[in-house]
Amino acid sequence: MLEVKNLSKAFGNVIAVNNISFFVGKGKVFGLVGENGAGKTTTIRLLATMLKPTSGTAVLGGHDLVREPEKVRGIVGILFGGESGLYDRLTAAENIAYFGELNNMDKHTLKERIKQLTKIFEMEEYINRKTGSLSKGMKQKVAFARSIVHNPEIMLFDEPTSGLDVTAIRNVHEFIENCKNEGKTIIFSSHSMVEIEKLCDKIGIIHKGKLVDVGTVSELLEKHNENTLENVFVKLVGDKNES
Amino acid sequence: MNLKHVWIVFKKEVKDIARDRKTILTNILVPIVLMPLLFYLLGGGIERMGKDITENITIALSVSSDTEEIRNLLKNDIFAGNPNIKLLEAVEDPEEAVRSERVRFVIDVDKDYAKKLEDGLPFSITVTYDQSNTKSSGSYRIILDSINEYNQKIVKERLKNLNIDINILEPTKVIQKNVAKEKTGGNMMLMMMLPMLVSILMAVGGIPAATDLVAGEKERGTLEPLLTTQSGRVSILLGKYLTVTAFSIVCVISQFIGVAIGFKISPNFLIIGGTGTNNGFNIPPLALLLIVIITITLGMFFSGIQLAISTYARSFKEAQTYLSFLMIIAMVPAYATMMLQPGDVRLYMFFIPLLNVIASLKMVLGNIINYTYLGIAFGTSIIYVVISLIFAASLFNKEKVLFRN
Ligand SMILES: Nc1ncnc2c1ncn2[C@@H]1O[C@H](COP(=O)(O)OP(=O)(O)OP(=O)(O)O)[C@@H](O)[C@H]1O
Ligand SMILES: [Mg+2]
Repeated sequence: MLEVKNLSKAFGNVIAVNNISFFVGKGKVFGLVGENGAGKTTTIRLLATMLKPTSGTAVLGGHDLVREPEKVRGIVGILFGGESGLYDRLTAAENIAYFGELNNMDKHTLKERIKQLTKIFEMEEYINRKTGSLSKGMKQKVAFARSIVHNPEIMLFDEPTSGLDVTAIRNVHEFIENCKNEGKTIIFSSHSMVEIEKLCDKIGIIHKGKLVDVGTVSELLEKHNENTLENVFVKLVGDKNES
Repeated sequence: MNLKHVWIVFKKEVKDIARDRKTILTNILVPIVLMPLLFYLLGGGIERMGKDITENITIALSVSSDTEEIRNLLKNDIFAGNPNIKLLEAVEDPEEAVRSERVRFVIDVDKDYAKKLEDGLPFSITVTYDQSNTKSSGSYRIILDSINEYNQKIVKERLKNLNIDINILEPTKVIQKNVAKEKTGGNMMLMMMLPMLVSILMAVGGIPAATDLVAGEKERGTLEPLLTTQSGRVSILLGKYLTVTAFSIVCVISQFIGVAIGFKISPNFLIIGGTGTNNGFNIPPLALLLIVIITITLGMFFSGIQLAISTYARSFKEAQTYLSFLMIIAMVPAYATMMLQPGDVRLYMFFIPLLNVIASLKMVLGNIINYTYLGIAFGTSIIYVVISLIFAASLFNKEKVLFRN
């Protein structure tokens, strides 16, 4: 469960996130769509406590973002697009263990969890190899495993498919579906209307830091009297760009 | 801050660096090999040169004074006491012979020297040498000494013939008393080099690690996920900080292993300008402990600055550029004080980072143990460490800096 309440973030004169509010229930996927510089990454960084809000807050799994950032970090998992963000000179297992340890998992639980993840992602062959020598697909799986090592109830994905090939994109989608089926609360940002439509229960269209509309796909189509999500997006964002 | 997290980060970073062959090779293994080589080449060269100057002195007569009598005078009288001086074949052109180093000196003696000697008149000995040539000018004194000895011998003989006590020639007698403790007499070079080396190495040793640990992590995209773990930022920073400090200490140690090996191979390198004996200092344990701590705190101070710079940098390259400036800044005081003598150390130096380490080392190596000064250096060092850490932590906590893109 995740509730964003009047969240704002300014960098000097630039208001990157401007008073946004939305709610995502357990086992639901919330999609954030917006142009470059709309404020998607900033929103996700705020929810991951990497940035401190200028005003407003959010409640993640019962913990307040501003008052209990450590607790929030303990229940949040994060995955970025592009580079998988692994330490090349550590083995797959060491990469995963590092994040488990820093999330206060005890040795025994961590060991069992890594075994379990190795099985889930079929990493048996290379779990003890340095990640620098792994293929892109293998690295991706290690990064997935690492993001959920501490079994977070909330998952944040910031453009996880950007720059990936078709198979890799499918892997990400599958991973998100699995997280959803496990009952995790998910936020997912993307430029791609197609994947947003495919994966998300609810969509937030963000433009110049403002959440210009929120709803399910059918709600949005109906409300704006359009037949594709892309048209809705262009209508909302295009309108705003003119004003 | 959570010590457990600090330890986890430290362990991981050490493991990571230890597996980085390139960094380990260039920063730890190369000095161990390069230093002895440097010593061998430089030290060996200096040693050979010294030997050549004292043990391989060649002289020749010019053709004009090349008579049996004069050859005998040189060989069996004037230079008889020094077997290292060898008389070669006479030469046609003295200047050319000296310049081309075929012979180190050409000697000319008055043809009628024997008569002048008998009459008690001075006869002349002309020594042609090359002042601009290290060997020629180095050996010149040895030639002069032999000639002076010969003069004294003649004078003594003459006085004896006149029945005069030869003691009238020596109204004074110089008795030498050297206050430098015998053991430290030979550590000139060490006193000059060690503080410079230690301070520079301590200041720059951590740079490769510092660059990699924040700027490198930013660039590879590993920093952001790290910041979303339950470990607080200060713990992450401290873990990295300890790694950088440890790395700089290891670099210094490896340099010293290199120096030690070099010293074994070519001990003369470090005692140039000294009196000979070269081992052992008389440093009291407390002073030694203080020196070691002060030196390590210098490494900590610079680790903090390096991490701050690495945090500020947008990319790995940018961090490298900034840090190479830092390297130059650290070298200035180190080189500027190279010739500073232990007695010239001033109070203000103990308040300035880097200078305080150099001054403390110079002082102690010169056997001046001033605990007040060492205490000041210790105190200021700790303060600088704290300041640099606070500085690094504040940058690491600044969103604008950490997420500059
Ligand atoms: N650390 C920062 N300092 C200053 N301005 C920032 C910072 N981070 C983001 N911004 C600004 O905030 C705005 C929103 O940026 P953000 O990265 O959140 O957009 P985004 O929707 O993720 O864009 P993209 O699709 O390109 O990733 C932009 O104008 C950006 O320039
Ligand atoms: Mg973004």
